[in-house]
Amino acid sequence: MLFASILILMPSSCMEEQDFDQFDDLSITPTLASGIFYLESDEETINSYGGFGTFYSQTMNFDAFNETYVAERLLEGVIIYEIENTTSKRLDISIEFLDESGNPLYMEGFTVEANLSEPVTREVAYGPGGLSLSILANTSSLRVTGRNLGDATSTSSHPEPKISLSSAAEFIFRLK
Amino acid sequence: MRGLLITILVATFGIYSTHAQNRQLLYDFNEIPQALMLNPGMKTSQRWHVGVPVISGLFFQASTSGVTVNDLFADDGVDFTTKVQERVLDVMTRRDDFSSTSQIEGFNIGFRGRNRPDDYYSFGMYGEMDIISYWPKDLALLAFEGNGGSNIGRSFDLGDLKLRGEMVNVFHFGINRKVNNTWTIGARAKLYSSIFQFQSIKNSGSFTTVQGQDNIYRSTIVADMQLQTSGVKGFYDIIDEDTGTTRKDLKRLFTERVLLGGSLGLGFDAGFTHQLNPQTTVTGSILDVGFIYNSNDVWNYTLEGTASTEGITVFLPEDIDDVDNDLWQDLVDEIDEALPHGENQSGYISFRPIKAYGSIRYDFGEGGRNWSENCGCAINTGGGVNSDFYRNSVGGQLYMIKRPRGIQAALTGFYQKRVGRGLSLKTTYTIDKYSLTNIGLGLNLQAGPVNFYVLGDNLLGYGNIADSHYASLQFGFNIISWNDN
Repeated sequence: MLFASILILMPSSCMEEQDFDQFDDLSITPTLASGIFYLESDEETINSYGGFGTFYSQTMNFDAFNETYVAERLLEGVIIYEIENTTSKRLDISIEFLDESGNPLYMEGFTVEANLSEPVTREVAYGPGGLSLSILANTSSLRVTGRNLGDATSTSSHPEPKISLSSAAEFIFRLK
Repeated sequence: MRGLLITILVATFGIYSTHAQNRQLLYDFNEIPQALMLNPGMKTSQRWHVGVPVISGLFFQASTSGVTVNDLFADDGVDFTTKVQERVLDVMTRRDDFSSTSQIEGFNIGFRGRNRPDDYYSFGMYGEMDIISYWPKDLALLAFEGNGGSNIGRSFDLGDLKLRGEMVNVFHFGINRKVNNTWTIGARAKLYSSIFQFQSIKNSGSFTTVQGQDNIYRSTIVADMQLQTSGVKGFYDIIDEDTGTTRKDLKRLFTERVLLGGSLGLGFDAGFTHQLNPQTTVTGSILDVGFIYNSNDVWNYTLEGTASTEGITVFLPEDIDDVDNDLWQDLVDEIDEALPHGENQSGYISFRPIKAYGSIRYDFGEGGRNWSENCGCAINTGGGVNSDFYRNSVGGQLYMIKRPRGIQAALTGFYQKRVGRGLSLKTTYTIDKYSLTNIGLGLNLQAGPVNFYVLGDNLLGYGNIADSHYASLQFGFNIISWNDN
């Protein structure tokens, strides 16, 4: 009886219709996060460059987004900036996004008051509803500039007075 | 990218794989000579047997403990990405695996010793391919979700990558001896000729992104990973060259490796059968206790080191004189240096997946078969008792196999019915990590000296084979001469 039942089951072997073309519809869009740039300077260094002038300016290559593989897959995302200033100076920090020829594509500027009690945070969106992704895709280098908008003599009462700029990116990529 | 993804999917969902290589239908199916390959200490009755070359033993098995083909590719109108998310990413664990085993016997010959009729000698050659890949859960999540968003702070385990595969040709010689009326023991020596082997089974490490000490995020990777391959590059190079003689070159290399021209190894099987009383028998065996020393065409790929980054960092006044424009490239180079990936050609040892069987069988229902006909009475009778005499057997079997993530086990209950002199049927119910509804059926037909058998597993899964977690089929032809006493 048992064998007979099994034998009856065997001929019913079949396979429901499968649609392997569905694989083409697979969407893989991870969110990738990474620190980008961090600048820190103590007040003494700022003072040493004098008042009302530039205490730091540096152009550095930055190919994170313009690699073909990355540029083609960028969908949207944000660059997060965070600035802390415990010095006694009002400061100006700018980040310029430059193309391969050194031409500015976009500039993110911050003017921060002296002795900030809370960090200043800014999230800049790229992609739909935000800035053009082409800015990032064409960025080959960054020019970071720090200017002292105050004098060169004052000192903060903070035990370790300093200015710091943090930045990170969180972007959605289309891997598939 | 598409090619890579398809390769991964084929490797996981397409090939599925060697579940456990469990051959519960064949085990202790004494009428089939190939059962001797699962227990060299099986009770043998025949005078000699010769497997019909190439078709004496064909065995195919595929299994998945997680998602099935139907789960993903059924034409059900559900968005494919949603199906992958809900049926793969959300539910599968790093212990889920896809596996596949196939075995083809080149030849299999057995004969009883002329001077020692209690000894049954057997030898032969078979090819076997065995692949197992565990679901790389954390790596898949990293690919699908990324390290950002809610995954900040999460540690992705690089040790989730665990896979092993090989194709091997096996030359074997076994001795089966009836010690007395209640004990039969046996052993088989094996010489392995590897065609290819790859394994990535000792990976460890992690990838994490957390709040940085200075910058907003710090990403850290700690990796100790290795992919060992032997015999793979030779085939790859031939295909990659794509000359007019590709097929011929592949055939030549394959033949060379089959015939001991590649990496070699040694192993053995052992087993016993013990009759507790006239109707109750216990058996046990251990198979493929062996290794292959992979020394031929070896290419290993390694990634080892620790790297941590918060991006480009500038500290003033320390870095005031650093006017290097290449800070980004320096950072990339620094990570690359901290996390060296290399190749080497060091030989390595790979162990064969050890398997063990055990069973207890109760025979009942006297059939009245004349012992002088096809029963091996000269060898396997004693005290007026011969289990071949009984029409029915019922019992249980235990199967275990050593896998990269530990031992997998399966428990089987079986019932065997002998109909007349030439027909035996065996049905099994097996539970393991792949299925709780695995019912199998085996048939052995003896027409004169010609023996044919076919064994099919998980028959309930045949209702929709694409939705089955497990499927296996084995069949073969032999010529058998029975003891004529």
